[in-house]
Amino acid sequence: MPGPCLDLRAVAMRYGSGAGAVEALASIDLAIEENEFVTIVGPSGCGKSTLLYLVGGFLLPTSGSILLGGKPVTGPGPDRGIVFQRYSLFPWLSVRGNIAYGLDEKGTRRAERDRIVEELVRLVHLEGFEDRYPRELSGGMQQRVALAQTLACQPRILLMDEPFGALDAQTRRILQDELRRIWRRDTKTVLFVTHDVEEAVALGNRIVVMAARPGRVKEVFNRDFAVPEGGEFDANPAFTALKLRIWRSVKEEVEAARA
Amino acid sequence: MTARLALGLSRLMPLALLLAAWHAASSAGLLQRRVLPPFIDVMAALGGLIGSGEIVPHTLASLARAGTGFLVALVLGITLGLLMARIRVVERFVEPILLLVYPVPKPALIPLFMIWLGIGDFSKITVIALACLVPVVIASFNGARGVDEMLLWSARARGTSERALLWRVVLPAALPQIAAGVRTAIAVSIIVLVSSEFISSEAGLGYLIFSYGGVGADDAMLAVVIYLAMLGYLLDRLYVGLLRRFMAWHAFAH
Repeated sequence: MPGPCLDLRAVAMRYGSGAGAVEALASIDLAIEENEFVTIVGPSGCGKSTLLYLVGGFLLPTSGSILLGGKPVTGPGPDRGIVFQRYSLFPWLSVRGNIAYGLDEKGTRRAERDRIVEELVRLVHLEGFEDRYPRELSGGMQQRVALAQTLACQPRILLMDEPFGALDAQTRRILQDELRRIWRRDTKTVLFVTHDVEEAVALGNRIVVMAARPGRVKEVFNRDFAVPEGGEFDANPAFTALKLRIWRSVKEEVEAARA
Repeated sequence: MTARLALGLSRLMPLALLLAAWHAASSAGLLQRRVLPPFIDVMAALGGLIGSGEIVPHTLASLARAGTGFLVALVLGITLGLLMARIRVVERFVEPILLLVYPVPKPALIPLFMIWLGIGDFSKITVIALACLVPVVIASFNGARGVDEMLLWSARARGTSERALLWRVVLPAALPQIAAGVRTAIAVSIIVLVSSEFISSEAGLGYLIFSYGGVGADDAMLAVVIYLAMLGYLLDRLYVGLLRRFMAWHAFAH
């Protein structure tokens, strides 16, 4: 039987040293299966972004191990695609250039590259915007480009750090729908960090609630029902009930952090 | 279109007023010739210099010096600035020297450079290059230092190696700031050029100013100064135009 896609074992992270050290994460154990969509939700300062950066290889854990497909993570690489809230795109490249970036780094042949880029442009509905620069696009469009750019690298796992956090509520719902559509189409493994409980339930098959100071896994919820299209989440009473349970769990942490 | 034309004309207004005041003061006898020659005479001298073609070889000699010094500064300055931002040892080594050189008026170094490098073009170009280097290095350093960490992470997660990061991401991300530093360097190159040509030259716009001044031809001397101002203005417009065209991805303020 194959192991999990991503395996976190007793991962701990401390910033600084001595008296001023901050314990960002305390012993995280988490296994993510192939094609699973896992969302991580928690109050700000619970280390959820740090966890994502560790998986990305941008930071190295103080202790514990992170295994991707059984191999330890030692640095960033195109097998883990990341989408940040912003700054994922290169301002000096057009939409086409941004999507092609990873393919160019890999040395993909031109015809093949152009074919993939065209397909991804269609996938994220950006036809006609291929030659625009990021500054000419809305926030929602920029995040579509970032998603396409990441997908072009064909990562084993998609890491998303509050990718829709800076968008307005309507755009956010639309992009959530699109992400789910893309995920269903090529069933990718996704690790998605958010502070929005509704988003966590709408997207994740498994929802991990984190506790703060130090950051650790508090509770894990499974969503075993389908989420309706078009953002009509509350049409399903099971959705509302799960959202409420998770919200209560998160709220405890928010209050504990404030106390 | 007419709105843009009106805006352009309104920007010329202060200049036109200043020249009109100059002309009026000379005509009314308030401004004596030995203080400032009449505007009309200066314009006539300028017309003569351009019309006779006399100014052309001097312009070419000057542009060759300024251009060479500027280009050397461009290549060296960007390279040095980027390396300083990325490599600690380079920063530690270069920064104190840069801070010392920064406030030194570069034309003051001309006599020294002439002793070292001879009185020919080489010492002039070196001084121009040194003067242009400072704003380019500082802009490149600040630009490269200010590159968002997330952008570097993003590139690394898309397969860019640590070595390629400098040219693939740091340089283009720093370009808007570098472009501003280069614009300063263009003006600096003209300023230092003229100073360098005051001493031991046989050609060049600075030489022309100095030699007309020496024989008391104040109208011709001022004509060359005005010519230099126009030249500098044109070079700046040309540069900004090129930036708008080839760096359309960035929204420039002006």
